Amino acid sequence: MSPHIRSLDSLARRSWGQLIALAPLFVIACFTGHAEILRILLICLVSAVAFEFLAAKLFQKKESLRNGETVLAATLFSLLVPSRCSSEIVILGVFMAVFVAKELFGGTGGYLLHPLLLARVFLQLCFPRSMSEPMLLAGEGSVWTLLGVGFGGILFLKQKRGYWETPVLFMSVCFVCEALFGGGEMPLAFFSAVLFTAFFLLADPVTLPLTRKGTSLFVLGAALFSSRLSPEGFSIHSACCAILLMNLSTPWLDVWLKPAPYQPEHPLKATYPA
Amino acid sequence: MGPPKSLLKKRNKKPGWKAIGIRLERKKDASLLNWNLKRPYPPEKIHIPIPPGAGPCVQPGEVVQTGQKIAEPQGPEGVSLHTGISGTVEKVAVFQSAVGTEGRMIEIRKHGEPKTLPSWEGRKGWAEIPAEELPRIFQHSGLVTTDPQMEPVHTKLKRHAGARTIIINGCEPEPYITCEQVLILSHPMEILKGAELLKKALGAEKIFFAIENCNLEMIELLKSKIYLLKWEHVEVRVVPALYPQGLESTLLQAWFPGEEKSAVVFPSSTAFAVYEAVAQQKPFYERVVTVGGECVVEPRSLWLPIGISFHDAIHACKGVMREPQKILMGGPMAGRAQMTAGVPVMAGTNAILALPKEVAKEEREEPCIRCNVCADHCPVSLSPAMITLAAEQKEFMVAEEWNVKECIECGNCAYGCPSKRPMLELIRFARSFSRAGVVRG
Repeated sequence: MSPHIRSLDSLARRSWGQLIALAPLFVIACFTGHAEILRILLICLVSAVAFEFLAAKLFQKKESLRNGETVLAATLFSLLVPSRCSSEIVILGVFMAVFVAKELFGGTGGYLLHPLLLARVFLQLCFPRSMSEPMLLAGEGSVWTLLGVGFGGILFLKQKRGYWETPVLFMSVCFVCEALFGGGEMPLAFFSAVLFTAFFLLADPVTLPLTRKGTSLFVLGAALFSSRLSPEGFSIHSACCAILLMNLSTPWLDVWLKPAPYQPEHPLKATYPA
Repeated sequence: MGPPKSLLKKRNKKPGWKAIGIRLERKKDASLLNWNLKRPYPPEKIHIPIPPGAGPCVQPGEVVQTGQKIAEPQGPEGVSLHTGISGTVEKVAVFQSAVGTEGRMIEIRKHGEPKTLPSWEGRKGWAEIPAEELPRIFQHSGLVTTDPQMEPVHTKLKRHAGARTIIINGCEPEPYITCEQVLILSHPMEILKGAELLKKALGAEKIFFAIENCNLEMIELLKSKIYLLKWEHVEVRVVPALYPQGLESTLLQAWFPGEEKSAVVFPSSTAFAVYEAVAQQKPFYERVVTVGGECVVEPRSLWLPIGISFHDAIHACKGVMREPQKILMGGPMAGRAQMTAGVPVMAGTNAILALPKEVAKEEREEPCIRCNVCADHCPVSLSPAMITLAAEQKEFMVAEEWNVKECIECGNCAYGCPSKRPMLELIRFARSFSRAGVVRG
C-alpha cells in the first residue's frame, strides 16, 4: 500500500528529542542547589516504568517503553512536583498520571486530559500542604534556570515538532496579562515558569486541537486562564488548571474549526485507478 | 455552527500561496547519468492491455507490424490500439494488469529479428490541419493521456471544451522519476509544437509549462525555444519541487487559482505523443519510462513499448543487483506495488522502480498522537487524523462529515505520520464504504 517510503519522524524520536531538550534543566538544577530533583526523578522513573508494565499486563497490550513516552512522562512529572515532596506522594502522582489518567482513559493517543497535569492538580487538591510550586520554578528564581529553560526551549523548537506560535502566543499573553494586572513585579522564576509551560507543558499533541488555528485558540485560552485563574497571577498550578480546562474544549475546537477542503472543478485521483 | 465568516474570508492571493507539500529526497541523479533516450531490443512477447471502448481487430495467428492497429475504437469515446513490436498475435485473453485487476490483453510474440527501427512518413502540411480534424487523428492514433488516468486525449478535450488555458505539466515531484525531464530536455521543440496542436484542437488562448524550480536547465531551455518561436502565448511557470505540487489537481489549486474551471492539464509526454501522431503519423505505442530504484544496475529513462513486462523492462537496464523488496509501478509515494514482475507497462506507467528493503521497509504501527503532521501536509486541507480514526472505528458517517471524499490520495499523511499508521489504507477503506452507499444506507 502506498506510500512505500516513510519519513524518519517517529514517536521515539519525538520523546527522546524532548528529553534532550529537558536535559539542560536537570544539569542546571544540580549546580544551583536543587539536586534533590534527582531523587524525585529516580522515583518517578522507577514507578512510571512499573505502572506501565502493570497496565500492559492488566490490559494485555504492548508497553510503550521503547518509544520513550513513559520516560518522558516521568521526567516531566519530576519537574512539576516540589523537590521536598515525600516519596509516597510522588508515587501516587505517577500512579494517577500513568495508570489512571493515561492508561484508563485510552492509553497513548486516547486520553482527553493531559495526564501529568491531571495528576499534578489531583495531588494539589489532596495534599495542599505538601504540594507547593516546584522549587526550580518558584521563589525569586535564578538566571541559570531561566537560561536552562530557554536553551531547552530552543532545542525543542529546533526539532520542529510543534507550531512556533504556541510558545510565542502563550508567553506574549502571559507577559501582557502580568504587566497589566500583576502589579508590575515579575521575578525571574515567573519567566522560567512561563517559558517552561510554553515549551514543555503545551507540547503534548494528544490533548491539543487538530488544526493550527485551533491550537492557537487553545493556547490563547490557556494563557488567559493561567494568568487570571488565581488572584496571585501566573503559577505552575494555575497553568495546569488552565490547560486542563482548555483540554475540555479541544473536541469542540476540532469540530468548530474543521478545515474546509479545497474542491477542484474536476476532481482527480492522484493514484492509479483501481 | 462555525467560526465567524471573517476568519474564513478568502483573500486575493498570488499563485502559489497554497503550495502545501513535502520536499522529498529526489534521488534522480542515478537515472539522469544516462539521459540519452534509447529503445531496448524488442522483448520475446508483449501483452498490450485493451483500453475500454476498443475492440480487437486482429485474430490469433495474424502477423502484425510495429505500429499496426490491433484494436478499433468502439463508439465516439473509444480509442484505437497499436502494437509496439512486429510479431504474431498469439491470443486475446485475460491477464493480470499492473493496477491490480485482470483485464483483456492482446499477446504478441516477436517475429524474427528487427534490423531497423520503423520509420514514419511525415504528414505534409500538418500545421494547417483544421482544428475539427485533430480529435479524429488523436482517436485513430490511439492517443491517451500519459498520466495514471489514461483518458483518451480526444475525450479529455471534449470534456474540457471551452477551456482557455492548456497547462503542460513537466513536474515530477516523486523521487526517482525522470521520464518527463529527460523527454523535455531531448525534444523541447516537439513538445512545444504538440502543446500548440492541443491548444488548436481545444481552441484555447494560452499555454503554460509548469516546471519545478530545481530544473533550471529545463526552464532555460524552454524559455529559449519559446523566444526562438516568438510564441507570446506560451509561458513557463516555475513551481516549487514539493510533492504533490506536480499533480494535476494541486497544480491547478496552487498555481493557477481562478483558472481551475478554464484550464486543462496534459503531461509533457502527451504533448510529445500528440506531435508525433499529427506531424509524423506515428501512432501511440511506446512511451518514455524511468526504470530505477537502488536495486537496478543501470537506472535510466528509456522508450518502452506499451505491453512490455516489468521484468523485461528491468532486464533492459541490465537487471537487478540485489533482490528488491518491492517492485512498483509509479513513484514511491503514489505508485502501486506489484505481486509479480510479469505485468505489462501501460500508457500511464511513468516509472518502474525496484526498491530495496531498507527503503521500502514496513514499520511498527503505533496509536495516533494527533500531532497534526498529516493535516499540515494535506494539500487539500483535510484532517486525515480524524478521518482515519473514524475509519478505524467504522464510523463512516463521521469520515464523510470530515470530507473523506475530497481526498486526492497523495499519501502525504501516511508519509509524515510519526506513528507509521496506514493512513491511506484507512482513507481508501472509508471512501470505499462511502462510495458503496453504506454510509447513507
